[in-house]
Amino acid sequence: MSPQGPDFPSYVPSSRSLAMGDFPSKTFTSQSGIQSTVQYGSRRTNQTIDLAYNNTTEAIAAAIYDHYVACRGTIYTFGLTEPAKSGNPTFHLGDSSASTSNRYSAAPFGMKYKYAEAPQFSSIKPGRMSVTVKLVGVLDS
Amino acid sequence: MTYYSGKNGTLTYNGNSVAKVSNWSFSSSVDTLETTAISESERSYVPGLRQATGSATIFYYDDAPKPLLERIIGTSAISESDILSLKLGWGSKYVQGNVIITSGELSCAVGEVMQATVQFQFTGAVTGVSL
Repeated sequence: MSPQGPDFPSYVPSSRSLAMGDFPSKTFTSQSGIQSTVQYGSRRTNQTIDLAYNNTTEAIAAAIYDHYVACRGTIYTFGLTEPAKSGNPTFHLGDSSASTSNRYSAAPFGMKYKYAEAPQFSSIKPGRMSVTVKLVGVLDS
Repeated sequence: MTYYSGKNGTLTYNGNSVAKVSNWSFSSSVDTLETTAISESERSYVPGLRQATGSATIFYYDDAPKPLLERIIGTSAISESDILSLKLGWGSKYVQGNVIITSGELSCAVGEVMQATVQFQFTGAVTGVSL
């Protein structure tokens, strides 16, 4: 089991993008051209979420900075709080069940997030910064 | 109550008055930084950086526009010493600040008095204002 860090800071991003990842599988192509795909796992992996906080306050930027440190960079896994997943209520209903409405967190499927890379901080003006965060979902036992 | 007109206008640089000014203009603007969160349906903003620009047209009477034109038209390189303290006045009111002359234009045409037009960019906040 991966070390667990604190939940991601509870702030609504300016933009968010989700890539669903895929189920572990391997595809074989015979000499005749027939393709066979073998599925190795029942849970998706490598789901990624990119978050952007544009022109946000230094307090929010500092919270993300501190969270990255608390998670030992890209090592610890953590949960994604509801504010970070908000904004598309019919896509993600914010429930905690294993239903398809819990599409952003995927926690019921054994997936937690970790940093895919270090967050990027841009200084915009005194008191304002922009932050981009790349997260990747990992299966956790 | 007092109306102001062109005859009330003045233009001074580094404390020296510029003669034969035909017109001047001043413009100040502020950038907006978007802070709309993904859960909102209306865009929101906070103030960003402010800037001010201006322009002046001066009749080419004797050497009236020369001190300003020399800051942009010349054989030597432009340096920080070319930053001027400029004051745009009307009556007892004024806007004052440090400016960089960003363009200089001379026009000479048949039947018209020769004129020089300069545009300037304020650097930093205005140093004085009385509106």
